[in-house]
Amino acid sequence: MPYDWTKSVFRFMKTLTGRIRGVDRVPFFAIIDEQFISRIIGITTREILSSPETYANCLIKTAEFIKADTIQIPSAYAGPAEAYAFAEANNKMNSIQWYDYKPLAIKQGEVCKTEEDIEKLEIPEHSKIDLWDTTYKTANIIREKTKFPQAMGLGIWSVVQELRGINAFKDIRKNPDLLLKLCEKIYESQLDSYNDWIEKVGESAIIMYTGYAFNKHMMSFKDAMKYEGQFIKRFQKKINSPFFLHNCGTRPYFREVCNEIDFIAVNGSHPLNIKYWIDFKKDFPKVTIMGANIDVSRELFTGTPQDVEEKVRENIINLAPGGRYIVSPICCLPWGVPIPNVLAIPKAIEKYGQYPIKGAQ
Amino acid sequence: MKNEEILTRIKNSIVEGESEKTIDAVNEALKKGVDYKDILNGAIIKGAIKVGELYEQEEYFLADMLMAGDALNAAMNILKDSFIEISEGASKGSILIGTVEGDIHDIGKSLIVSLLNGQAFDVIDLGSDVPPEIFVEKAKEFKPDVIGLSGLLTMSISKMHETILLLRKEEIPSKIIIGGGVVSKNSCAMIGADDCAKDGWVGIKKINKIISDTKRG
Repeated sequence: MPYDWTKSVFRFMKTLTGRIRGVDRVPFFAIIDEQFISRIIGITTREILSSPETYANCLIKTAEFIKADTIQIPSAYAGPAEAYAFAEANNKMNSIQWYDYKPLAIKQGEVCKTEEDIEKLEIPEHSKIDLWDTTYKTANIIREKTKFPQAMGLGIWSVVQELRGINAFKDIRKNPDLLLKLCEKIYESQLDSYNDWIEKVGESAIIMYTGYAFNKHMMSFKDAMKYEGQFIKRFQKKINSPFFLHNCGTRPYFREVCNEIDFIAVNGSHPLNIKYWIDFKKDFPKVTIMGANIDVSRELFTGTPQDVEEKVRENIINLAPGGRYIVSPICCLPWGVPIPNVLAIPKAIEKYGQYPIKGAQ
Repeated sequence: MKNEEILTRIKNSIVEGESEKTIDAVNEALKKGVDYKDILNGAIIKGAIKVGELYEQEEYFLADMLMAGDALNAAMNILKDSFIEISEGASKGSILIGTVEGDIHDIGKSLIVSLLNGQAFDVIDLGSDVPPEIFVEKAKEFKPDVIGLSGLLTMSISKMHETILLLRKEEIPSKIIIGGGVVSKNSCAMIGADDCAKDGWVGIKKINKIISDTKRG
Protein backbone atom coordinates (compact mmCIF):
# COMPACT_ATOMS: atom_id res chain seq x y z
CA MET A 1 0.00 0.00 0.00
CA PRO A 2 1.48 3.40 -0.91
CA TYR A 3 2.51 5.66 1.94
CA ASP A 4 -0.26 8.10 2.75
CA TRP A 5 1.56 11.42 2.67
CA THR A 6 -1.71 13.34 2.41
CA LYS A 7 -2.64 12.11 5.85
CA SER A 8 0.83 12.86 7.20
CA VAL A 9 0.76 16.42 5.89
CA PHE A 10 -2.68 16.98 7.43
CA ARG A 11 -1.61 15.45 10.75
CA PHE A 12 1.59 17.46 10.99
CA MET A 13 0.33 20.85 9.82
CA LYS A 14 -2.88 20.69 11.86
CA THR A 15 -1.04 19.69 15.02
CA LEU A 16 1.60 22.32 14.48
CA THR A 17 -1.02 25.03 14.24
CA GLY A 18 -3.03 23.70 17.16
CA ARG A 19 -6.15 22.71 15.23
CA ILE A 20 -6.39 18.99 15.83
CA ARG A 21 -10.01 18.52 14.82
CA GLY A 22 -10.00 15.59 12.42
CA VAL A 23 -6.44 14.56 13.30
CA ASP A 24 -6.27 10.81 13.93
CA ARG A 25 -3.07 10.59 15.93
CA VAL A 26 0.04 12.37 17.19
CA PRO A 27 2.50 13.05 14.32
CA PHE A 28 6.11 11.90 14.12
CA PHE A 29 8.80 14.45 13.16
CA ALA A 30 12.28 13.03 12.57
CA ILE A 31 15.45 14.90 11.63
CA ILE A 32 16.95 12.71 8.95
CA ASP A 33 20.45 13.56 7.80
CA GLU A 34 22.79 12.12 5.18
CA GLN A 35 24.24 9.68 7.73
CA PHE A 36 20.91 8.07 8.45
CA ILE A 37 19.99 8.01 4.75
CA SER A 38 23.30 6.29 4.00
CA ARG A 39 22.50 3.67 6.58
CA ILE A 40 19.01 2.96 5.29
CA ILE A 41 19.59 3.30 1.54
CA GLY A 42 23.19 2.06 1.47
CA ILE A 43 24.83 4.75 -0.65
CA THR A 44 27.42 7.43 0.08
CA THR A 45 26.77 11.10 0.80
CA ARG A 46 28.13 12.14 -2.60
CA GLU A 47 25.78 9.66 -4.30
CA ILE A 48 22.85 10.98 -2.26
CA LEU A 49 23.62 14.53 -3.38
CA SER A 50 24.49 13.53 -6.95
CA SER A 51 21.14 14.71 -8.32
CA PRO A 52 17.97 16.27 -6.94
CA GLU A 53 16.00 13.18 -7.99
CA THR A 54 18.31 10.83 -6.08
CA TYR A 55 18.39 13.14 -3.05
CA ALA A 56 14.59 13.47 -2.99
CA ASN A 57 13.99 9.74 -3.46
CA CYS A 58 16.46 8.86 -0.70
CA LEU A 59 14.78 11.27 1.70
CA ILE A 60 11.30 10.02 0.89
CA LYS A 61 12.29 6.35 1.16
CA THR A 62 14.08 6.89 4.48
CA ALA A 63 11.18 8.85 5.95
CA GLU A 64 8.75 6.15 4.83
CA PHE A 65 10.97 3.40 6.22
CA ILE A 66 10.79 4.87 9.71
CA LYS A 67 7.15 5.88 9.23
CA ALA A 68 7.81 9.57 9.81
CA ASP A 69 5.14 12.14 9.00
CA THR A 70 7.63 14.73 7.83
CA ILE A 71 10.47 15.22 5.37
CA GLN A 72 13.08 17.87 6.05
CA ILE A 73 15.95 18.41 3.61
CA PRO A 74 19.15 18.35 5.70
CA SER A 75 21.06 20.75 3.44
CA ALA A 76 18.33 23.39 3.84
CA TYR A 77 19.36 23.78 7.46
CA ALA A 78 21.50 26.77 8.40
CA GLY A 79 24.65 25.00 9.43
CA PRO A 80 27.25 23.28 7.26
CA ALA A 81 25.41 24.00 3.98
CA GLU A 82 25.41 27.72 4.69
CA ALA A 83 29.06 27.57 5.77
CA TYR A 84 29.73 25.73 2.51
CA ALA A 85 28.19 28.65 0.61
CA PHE A 86 30.47 31.11 2.43
CA ALA A 87 33.50 28.88 1.84
CA GLU A 88 32.79 28.73 -1.87
CA ALA A 89 32.10 32.46 -2.19
CA ASN A 90 35.37 33.24 -0.40
CA ASN A 91 37.62 30.67 -2.10
CA LYS A 92 38.06 28.64 1.05
CA MET A 93 36.84 25.27 -0.09
CA ASN A 94 39.82 23.63 1.62
CA SER A 95 37.92 24.21 4.87
CA ILE A 96 35.21 21.79 3.72
CA GLN A 97 35.50 18.16 4.69
CA TRP A 98 33.49 15.51 2.86
CA TYR A 99 32.74 12.13 4.36
CA ASP A 100 31.43 8.97 2.73
CA TYR A 101 28.60 8.23 5.10
CA LYS A 102 27.73 11.44 6.87
CA PRO A 103 27.09 15.11 6.22
CA LEU A 104 29.83 17.37 4.95
CA ALA A 105 31.44 19.46 7.64
CA ILE A 106 33.50 22.60 7.83
CA LYS A 107 36.66 23.09 9.88
CA GLN A 108 35.35 25.52 12.47
CA GLY A 109 37.00 28.91 12.37
CA GLU A 110 38.79 28.47 9.04
CA VAL A 111 36.70 30.80 6.89
CA CYS A 112 36.91 33.74 9.33
CA LYS A 113 40.22 33.06 10.99
CA THR A 114 41.24 36.73 11.17
CA GLU A 115 39.47 40.03 11.67
CA GLU A 116 40.35 40.90 8.10
CA ASP A 117 38.57 37.74 6.93
CA ILE A 118 35.38 39.08 8.52
CA GLU A 119 35.83 42.57 7.08
CA LYS A 120 36.36 41.17 3.58
CA LEU A 121 33.87 38.31 3.83
CA GLU A 122 31.85 38.04 0.61
CA ILE A 123 28.18 37.20 0.92
CA PRO A 124 27.38 34.13 -1.19
CA GLU A 125 24.93 34.08 -4.07
CA HIS A 126 23.17 30.85 -3.28
CA SER A 127 21.70 30.44 -6.76
CA LYS A 128 25.24 29.99 -8.11
CA ILE A 129 26.18 27.31 -5.61
CA ASP A 130 25.55 23.73 -6.73
CA LEU A 131 24.68 22.39 -3.29
CA TRP A 132 21.98 25.01 -2.83
CA ASP A 133 20.67 24.61 -6.36
CA THR A 134 20.35 20.87 -5.68
CA THR A 135 18.56 21.68 -2.41
CA TYR A 136 15.97 23.90 -4.12
CA LYS A 137 15.30 21.34 -6.83
CA THR A 138 15.06 18.56 -4.25
CA ALA A 139 12.49 20.55 -2.29
CA ASN A 140 10.36 20.88 -5.42
CA ILE A 141 10.53 17.17 -6.20
CA ILE A 142 9.60 16.20 -2.64
CA ARG A 143 6.68 18.59 -2.65
CA GLU A 144 5.53 17.30 -6.01
CA LYS A 145 5.71 13.66 -4.93
CA THR A 146 4.41 13.91 -1.37
CA LYS A 147 2.70 17.32 -1.15
CA PHE A 148 4.71 17.81 2.02
CA PRO A 149 5.37 21.57 2.29
CA GLN A 150 9.11 22.05 2.53
CA ALA A 151 10.61 24.11 5.35
CA MET A 152 13.42 26.55 4.79
CA GLY A 153 16.10 26.70 7.50
CA LEU A 154 17.56 29.86 8.99
CA GLY A 155 19.98 30.53 11.82
CA ILE A 156 22.71 32.99 12.73
CA TRP A 157 24.82 31.55 15.54
CA SER A 158 24.95 28.07 14.00
CA VAL A 159 26.77 29.69 11.07
CA VAL A 160 28.88 32.04 13.23
CA GLN A 161 30.33 29.00 15.00
CA GLU A 162 31.17 27.32 11.71
CA LEU A 163 32.86 30.38 10.22
CA ARG A 164 34.62 31.86 13.26
CA GLY A 165 35.00 28.83 15.55
CA ILE A 166 36.13 29.31 19.11
CA ASN A 167 37.14 32.92 18.43
CA ALA A 168 33.44 33.82 18.14
CA PHE A 169 33.09 33.25 21.88
CA LYS A 170 36.15 35.36 22.66
CA ASP A 171 34.76 38.07 20.36
CA ILE A 172 31.70 38.30 22.64
CA ARG A 173 33.98 39.85 25.25
CA LYS A 174 36.87 41.19 23.20
CA ASN A 175 35.37 42.37 19.97
CA PRO A 176 31.56 42.55 20.03
CA ASP A 177 31.33 45.04 17.16
CA LEU A 178 33.31 42.77 14.87
CA LEU A 179 31.13 39.83 15.89
CA LEU A 180 27.99 41.79 15.12
CA LYS A 181 29.44 42.63 11.73
CA LEU A 182 29.81 38.90 11.06
CA CYS A 183 26.23 38.29 12.26
CA GLU A 184 25.00 41.03 9.88
CA LYS A 185 26.77 39.38 6.94
CA ILE A 186 25.27 36.01 7.81
CA TYR A 187 21.86 37.68 8.11
CA GLU A 188 22.26 39.15 4.61
CA SER A 189 23.33 35.77 3.31
CA GLN A 190 20.34 34.07 4.88
CA LEU A 191 18.03 36.58 3.26
CA ASP A 192 19.66 35.76 -0.07
CA SER A 193 19.01 32.05 0.41
CA TYR A 194 15.46 32.76 1.58
CA ASN A 195 14.75 34.93 -1.49
CA ASP A 196 16.10 32.18 -3.74
CA TRP A 197 13.88 29.70 -1.96
CA ILE A 198 10.85 31.92 -2.60
CA GLU A 199 11.77 32.27 -6.26
CA LYS A 200 12.60 28.64 -6.90
CA VAL A 201 10.49 26.69 -4.42
CA GLY A 202 7.79 29.12 -3.35
CA GLU A 203 6.63 30.40 0.03
CA SER A 204 8.05 28.30 2.86
CA ALA A 205 5.15 26.89 4.88
CA ILE A 206 7.28 27.10 8.00
CA ILE A 207 10.77 28.29 8.91
CA MET A 208 12.99 25.92 10.87
CA TYR A 209 15.09 28.33 12.89
CA THR A 210 18.24 26.78 14.35
CA GLY A 211 18.90 28.90 17.42
CA TYR A 212 22.06 27.51 18.96
CA ALA A 213 22.79 30.71 20.85
CA PHE A 214 19.79 30.01 23.06
CA ASN A 215 21.66 27.65 25.31
CA LYS A 216 23.17 28.36 28.72
CA HIS A 217 26.27 26.42 27.72
CA MET A 218 26.88 28.99 25.02
CA MET A 219 26.15 32.41 26.46
CA SER A 220 23.92 34.54 28.65
CA PHE A 221 20.37 35.11 27.47
CA LYS A 222 21.19 38.78 26.99
CA ASP A 223 24.03 37.89 24.61
CA ALA A 224 21.83 35.30 22.90
CA MET A 225 19.30 38.04 22.13
CA LYS A 226 22.08 40.30 20.89
CA TYR A 227 23.70 37.79 18.55
CA GLU A 228 20.65 35.74 17.55
CA GLY A 229 17.36 37.05 18.92
CA GLN A 230 17.45 40.50 17.33
CA PHE A 231 18.05 38.90 13.94
CA ILE A 232 15.07 36.57 14.37
CA LYS A 233 12.89 39.60 15.06
CA ARG A 234 14.22 41.22 11.88
CA PHE A 235 13.63 38.06 9.85
CA GLN A 236 10.09 37.89 11.17
CA LYS A 237 9.39 41.41 9.93
CA LYS A 238 10.32 40.33 6.42
CA ILE A 239 9.00 36.77 6.39
CA ASN A 240 5.35 35.90 6.90
CA SER A 241 5.79 32.17 7.53
CA PRO A 242 5.66 30.91 11.13
CA PHE A 243 8.98 30.03 12.77
CA PHE A 244 9.77 27.02 14.90
CA LEU A 245 12.85 27.02 17.10
CA HIS A 246 15.21 24.07 16.94
CA ASN A 247 17.76 23.79 19.74
CA CYS A 248 19.36 20.46 20.52
CA GLY A 249 21.47 21.87 23.34
CA THR A 250 21.25 20.50 26.85
CA ARG A 251 20.44 23.75 28.67
CA PRO A 252 18.14 25.66 26.32
CA TYR A 253 16.49 29.01 27.01
CA PHE A 254 13.11 27.86 25.66
CA ARG A 255 11.01 29.64 28.27
CA GLU A 256 13.00 32.86 28.10
CA VAL A 257 12.99 33.05 24.34
CA CYS A 258 9.29 32.27 24.02
CA ASN A 259 8.61 35.25 26.25
CA GLU A 260 10.49 37.48 23.79
CA ILE A 261 9.88 36.05 20.33
CA ASP A 262 6.88 34.42 18.63
CA PHE A 263 7.49 30.81 17.74
CA ILE A 264 4.84 28.40 16.61
CA ALA A 265 6.81 25.51 18.08
CA VAL A 266 9.94 24.55 19.95
CA ASN A 267 11.99 21.50 18.98
CA GLY A 268 14.35 20.14 21.61
CA SER A 269 14.99 17.28 24.03
CA HIS A 270 16.24 19.06 27.14
CA PRO A 271 15.58 19.46 30.00
CA LEU A 272 14.96 15.73 30.34
CA ASN A 273 12.46 16.11 33.17
CA ILE A 274 8.95 15.70 31.77
CA LYS A 275 7.65 18.13 34.40
CA TYR A 276 9.49 20.97 32.65
CA TRP A 277 7.52 20.22 29.49
CA ILE A 278 4.20 19.83 31.29
CA ASP A 279 4.73 23.26 32.85
CA PHE A 280 5.92 24.67 29.52
CA LYS A 281 2.70 23.52 27.87
CA LYS A 282 0.65 25.20 30.60
CA ASP A 283 2.59 28.45 30.40
CA PHE A 284 2.88 28.58 26.61
CA PRO A 285 -0.37 27.01 25.40
CA LYS A 286 0.05 28.33 21.86
CA VAL A 287 3.53 26.92 21.35
CA THR A 288 3.61 23.38 19.97
CA ILE A 289 6.15 21.05 21.55
CA MET A 290 8.13 18.97 19.06
CA GLY A 291 10.23 16.48 20.94
CA ALA A 292 10.25 17.05 24.70
CA ASN A 293 12.54 14.60 26.45
CA ILE A 294 13.25 11.99 23.77
CA ASP A 295 17.02 12.13 23.47
CA VAL A 296 19.03 10.20 20.89
CA SER A 297 21.97 9.66 23.21
CA ARG A 298 19.90 8.01 25.90
CA GLU A 299 17.14 5.43 25.53
CA LEU A 300 17.33 5.50 21.74
CA PHE A 301 21.04 4.72 21.80
CA THR A 302 21.47 2.58 24.88
CA GLY A 303 17.98 1.29 25.63
CA THR A 304 15.66 -1.32 24.23
CA PRO A 305 12.58 -0.85 22.01
CA GLN A 306 10.56 -1.19 25.23
CA ASP A 307 12.47 1.71 26.81
CA VAL A 308 11.77 3.83 23.74
CA GLU A 309 8.10 2.86 23.79
CA GLU A 310 7.84 3.88 27.43
CA LYS A 311 9.51 7.24 26.75
CA VAL A 312 7.17 7.99 23.83
CA ARG A 313 4.18 6.92 25.94
CA GLU A 314 5.26 9.21 28.78
CA ASN A 315 5.44 12.16 26.40
CA ILE A 316 2.17 11.41 24.67
CA ILE A 317 0.02 10.94 27.75
CA ASN A 318 1.44 14.07 29.35
CA LEU A 319 1.72 16.42 26.39
CA ALA A 320 -0.57 15.28 23.57
CA PRO A 321 -4.03 15.78 25.14
CA GLY A 322 -5.51 18.89 23.57
CA GLY A 323 -2.99 18.77 20.72
CA ARG A 324 0.13 20.81 20.03
CA TYR A 325 2.45 17.90 20.64
CA ILE A 326 4.58 16.17 18.01
CA VAL A 327 6.82 13.21 18.83
CA SER A 328 10.39 13.90 17.81
CA PRO A 329 13.69 12.38 18.85
CA ILE A 330 16.44 15.00 19.17
CA CYS A 331 18.68 15.51 17.27
CA CYS A 332 19.84 13.61 14.16
CA LEU A 333 19.64 9.84 14.48
CA PRO A 334 23.25 8.69 15.00
CA TRP A 335 24.94 5.78 13.28
CA GLY A 336 24.92 3.53 16.31
CA VAL A 337 21.23 3.82 17.22
CA PRO A 338 19.66 0.39 16.80
CA ILE A 339 17.07 0.49 14.02
CA PRO A 340 14.52 -1.46 16.14
CA ASN A 341 14.70 1.42 18.64
CA VAL A 342 13.91 3.95 15.91
CA LEU A 343 11.05 1.80 14.65
CA ALA A 344 9.72 1.58 18.21
CA ILE A 345 8.75 5.26 17.93
CA PRO A 346 6.04 4.91 15.25
CA LYS A 347 4.86 1.69 16.91
CA ALA A 348 4.43 3.52 20.22
CA ILE A 349 2.64 6.38 18.49
CA GLU A 350 0.20 3.91 16.92
CA LYS A 351 -0.37 2.32 20.32
CA TYR A 352 -0.67 5.38 22.55
CA GLY A 353 -1.03 8.36 20.24
CA GLN A 354 -4.55 7.89 18.81
CA TYR A 355 -6.91 10.73 19.63
CA PRO A 356 -8.55 10.92 22.10
CA ILE A 357 -5.47 10.01 24.11
CA LYS A 358 -6.11 7.15 26.53
CA GLY A 359 -4.55 7.26 29.97
CA ALA A 360 -3.95 10.99 29.72
CA GLN A 361 -2.62 12.65 32.87
CA MET B 1 53.48 45.13 47.89
CA LYS B 2 53.15 42.01 50.00
CA ASN B 3 53.16 38.59 48.36
CA GLU B 4 49.53 38.07 49.31
CA GLU B 5 48.47 41.19 47.45
CA ILE B 6 50.29 40.33 44.25
CA LEU B 7 48.93 36.78 44.33
CA THR B 8 45.42 38.21 44.70
CA ARG B 9 46.10 40.49 41.74
CA ILE B 10 47.17 37.51 39.62
CA LYS B 11 44.11 35.54 40.67
CA ASN B 12 41.73 38.42 39.99
CA SER B 13 43.19 39.18 36.58
CA ILE B 14 42.73 35.51 35.63
CA VAL B 15 39.13 35.54 36.87
CA GLU B 16 38.51 38.70 34.84
CA GLY B 17 40.13 37.14 31.78
CA GLU B 18 42.70 39.92 31.49
CA SER B 19 45.72 38.26 29.91
CA GLU B 20 47.94 41.34 29.80
CA LYS B 21 47.30 42.25 33.43
CA THR B 22 47.98 38.62 34.34
CA ILE B 23 51.31 38.66 32.51
CA ASP B 24 52.33 41.92 34.22
CA ALA B 25 51.37 40.63 37.65
CA VAL B 26 53.14 37.28 37.25
CA ASN B 27 56.31 38.99 35.99
CA GLU B 28 56.17 41.40 38.90
CA ALA B 29 55.75 38.55 41.37
CA LEU B 30 58.74 36.69 39.94
CA LYS B 31 60.81 39.85 40.01
CA LYS B 32 59.99 40.24 43.69
CA GLY B 33 61.18 36.70 44.29
CA VAL B 34 57.80 35.07 44.96
CA ASP B 35 58.19 31.29 44.73
CA TYR B 36 56.67 29.90 41.53
CA LYS B 37 54.86 27.24 43.55
CA ASP B 38 53.10 30.00 45.49
CA ILE B 39 52.15 31.68 42.22
CA LEU B 40 50.85 28.39 40.88
CA ASN B 41 48.96 27.21 43.94
CA GLY B 42 48.16 30.54 45.59
CA ALA B 43 46.97 32.40 42.50
CA ILE B 44 46.68 30.50 39.24
CA ILE B 45 44.88 27.40 40.45
CA LYS B 46 42.73 29.44 42.83
CA GLY B 47 41.79 31.65 39.86
CA ALA B 48 40.84 28.63 37.78
CA ILE B 49 38.67 27.28 40.60
CA LYS B 50 36.93 30.64 41.03
CA VAL B 51 36.18 30.78 37.29
CA GLY B 52 34.62 27.32 37.52
CA GLU B 53 32.50 28.36 40.47
CA LEU B 54 31.23 31.41 38.61
CA TYR B 55 30.38 29.18 35.64
CA GLU B 56 28.45 26.80 37.88
CA GLN B 57 26.58 29.77 39.38
CA GLU B 58 25.66 30.85 35.82
CA GLU B 59 27.43 34.15 36.28
CA TYR B 60 30.06 33.09 33.77
CA PHE B 61 29.52 31.63 30.32
CA LEU B 62 31.68 30.04 27.68
CA ALA B 63 33.13 33.40 26.58
CA ASP B 64 34.28 34.20 30.14
CA MET B 65 35.75 30.72 30.54
CA LEU B 66 37.73 31.10 27.34
CA MET B 67 39.04 34.53 28.30
CA ALA B 68 40.08 33.19 31.69
CA GLY B 69 41.65 30.20 29.95
CA ASP B 70 43.80 32.53 27.86
CA ALA B 71 44.91 34.39 30.99
CA LEU B 72 45.69 31.08 32.71
CA ASN B 73 47.76 29.94 29.78
CA ALA B 74 49.62 33.24 29.67
CA ALA B 75 50.51 32.84 33.35
CA MET B 76 51.57 29.23 32.92
CA ASN B 77 53.74 30.05 29.92
CA ILE B 78 55.70 32.59 31.96
CA LEU B 79 56.21 30.09 34.75
CA LYS B 80 57.27 27.42 32.31
CA ASP B 81 59.70 29.82 30.63
CA SER B 82 61.14 30.85 33.97
CA PHE B 83 61.37 27.42 35.55
CA ILE B 84 62.08 24.71 33.03
CA GLU B 85 61.55 22.05 35.63
CA ILE B 86 58.03 23.15 36.46
CA SER B 87 56.33 20.86 33.99
CA GLU B 88 58.02 17.90 35.59
CA GLY B 89 58.10 19.06 39.14
CA ALA B 90 54.65 20.48 39.44
CA SER B 91 52.63 18.63 36.81
CA LYS B 92 49.41 17.26 38.27
CA GLY B 93 49.14 14.60 35.60
CA SER B 94 49.03 14.04 31.87
CA ILE B 95 46.06 14.06 29.53
CA LEU B 96 45.81 13.03 25.91
CA ILE B 97 42.82 14.66 24.32
CA GLY B 98 41.15 14.94 20.93
CA THR B 99 37.86 15.19 19.09
CA VAL B 100 37.03 11.79 17.63
CA GLU B 101 37.17 10.93 13.94
CA GLY B 102 34.43 12.39 11.82
CA ASP B 103 33.80 15.31 14.15
CA ILE B 104 35.66 18.53 13.53
CA HIS B 105 34.05 20.56 16.28
CA ASP B 106 36.67 21.71 18.71
CA ILE B 107 35.21 24.50 20.83
CA GLY B 108 34.53 22.35 23.91
CA LYS B 109 37.81 20.50 23.58
CA SER B 110 39.81 23.72 23.20
CA LEU B 111 38.22 25.10 26.36
CA ILE B 112 39.24 21.99 28.31
CA VAL B 113 42.79 22.12 26.93
CA SER B 114 43.13 25.74 27.88
CA LEU B 115 41.87 25.24 31.43
CA LEU B 116 43.86 22.06 31.99
CA ASN B 117 47.06 23.76 30.87
CA GLY B 118 46.26 26.52 33.29
CA GLN B 119 45.98 24.05 36.14
CA ALA B 120 49.42 22.57 35.66
CA PHE B 121 48.42 19.44 33.76
CA ASP B 122 50.49 18.22 30.84
CA VAL B 123 48.13 18.21 27.91
CA ILE B 124 48.71 16.59 24.54
CA ASP B 125 46.08 17.96 22.20
CA LEU B 126 45.59 15.78 19.12
CA GLY B 127 43.17 18.25 17.52
CA SER B 128 39.93 17.22 15.90
CA ASP B 129 38.83 14.43 13.54
CA VAL B 130 41.30 12.03 15.20
CA PRO B 131 41.17 8.37 14.06
CA PRO B 132 41.19 5.64 16.74
CA GLU B 133 44.62 4.42 15.57
CA ILE B 134 46.17 7.82 16.31
CA PHE B 135 44.76 7.82 19.85
CA VAL B 136 46.39 4.40 20.35
CA GLU B 137 49.69 5.44 18.79
CA LYS B 138 49.94 8.61 20.89
CA ALA B 139 48.78 6.85 24.05
CA LYS B 140 51.63 4.35 23.64
CA GLU B 141 54.05 7.21 23.10
CA PHE B 142 52.98 9.53 25.92
CA LYS B 143 51.46 7.10 28.44
CA PRO B 144 48.89 9.62 29.69
CA ASP B 145 47.02 9.26 32.97
CA VAL B 146 43.76 10.15 31.24
CA ILE B 147 42.55 10.01 27.66
CA GLY B 148 39.77 12.44 26.79
CA LEU B 149 37.53 11.77 23.81
CA SER B 150 35.49 14.76 22.77
CA GLY B 151 32.57 15.03 20.36
CA LEU B 152 29.68 17.30 19.63
CA LEU B 153 27.76 15.36 17.04
CA THR B 154 25.35 12.62 18.01
CA MET B 155 27.15 10.37 15.56
CA SER B 156 30.38 10.78 17.56
CA ILE B 157 29.23 8.36 20.23
CA SER B 158 29.74 5.44 17.83
CA LYS B 159 33.25 6.65 17.01
CA MET B 160 34.04 7.07 20.71
CA HIS B 161 32.96 3.45 21.16
CA GLU B 162 35.22 2.30 18.33
CA THR B 163 38.16 4.28 19.78
CA ILE B 164 37.65 2.84 23.27
CA LEU B 165 37.44 -0.72 21.91
CA LEU B 166 40.77 -0.24 20.13
CA LEU B 167 42.42 1.38 23.18
CA ARG B 168 41.27 -1.52 25.36
CA LYS B 169 42.33 -4.10 22.78
CA GLU B 170 45.79 -2.53 22.74
CA GLU B 171 45.80 -2.69 26.55
CA ILE B 172 46.24 1.04 27.06
CA PRO B 173 45.92 1.41 30.85
CA SER B 174 44.88 5.10 30.88
CA LYS B 175 41.50 6.10 32.25
CA ILE B 176 39.13 7.22 29.52
CA ILE B 177 36.70 10.09 29.85
CA ILE B 178 34.25 11.07 27.14
CA GLY B 179 32.92 14.59 26.80
CA GLY B 180 30.34 16.57 24.88
CA GLY B 181 26.68 17.44 24.81
CA VAL B 182 25.78 14.01 23.45
CA VAL B 183 27.20 11.92 26.27
CA SER B 184 25.22 10.49 29.15
CA LYS B 185 25.92 8.11 32.03
CA ASN B 186 24.16 5.36 30.09
CA SER B 187 26.11 5.86 26.90
CA CYS B 188 29.31 6.16 28.95
CA ALA B 189 28.69 2.77 30.56
CA MET B 190 27.58 1.23 27.31
CA ILE B 191 30.70 2.15 25.35
CA GLY B 192 33.08 1.30 28.20
CA ALA B 193 34.36 4.74 29.19
CA ASP B 194 35.44 5.33 32.79
CA ASP B 195 33.57 8.61 33.09
CA CYS B 196 31.78 11.30 31.14
CA ALA B 197 31.28 15.05 31.21
CA LYS B 198 28.66 17.14 29.50
CA ASP B 199 30.68 20.31 29.49
CA GLY B 200 34.24 21.55 29.87
CA TRP B 201 34.15 22.53 33.50
CA VAL B 202 32.61 19.25 34.62
CA GLY B 203 35.32 17.55 32.55
CA ILE B 204 38.08 19.42 34.37
CA LYS B 205 36.63 18.47 37.76
CA LYS B 206 36.32 14.84 36.78
CA ILE B 207 39.84 14.68 35.34
CA ASN B 208 41.15 16.17 38.59
CA LYS B 209 39.29 13.52 40.55
CA ILE B 210 40.36 10.63 38.32
CA ILE B 211 43.99 11.65 38.60
CA SER B 212 43.94 12.22 42.35
CA ASP B 213 42.16 8.85 42.84
CA THR B 214 44.68 7.14 40.56
CA LYS B 215 47.63 8.66 42.40
CA ARG B 216 46.13 7.77 45.79
CA GLY B 217 45.35 4.25 44.65
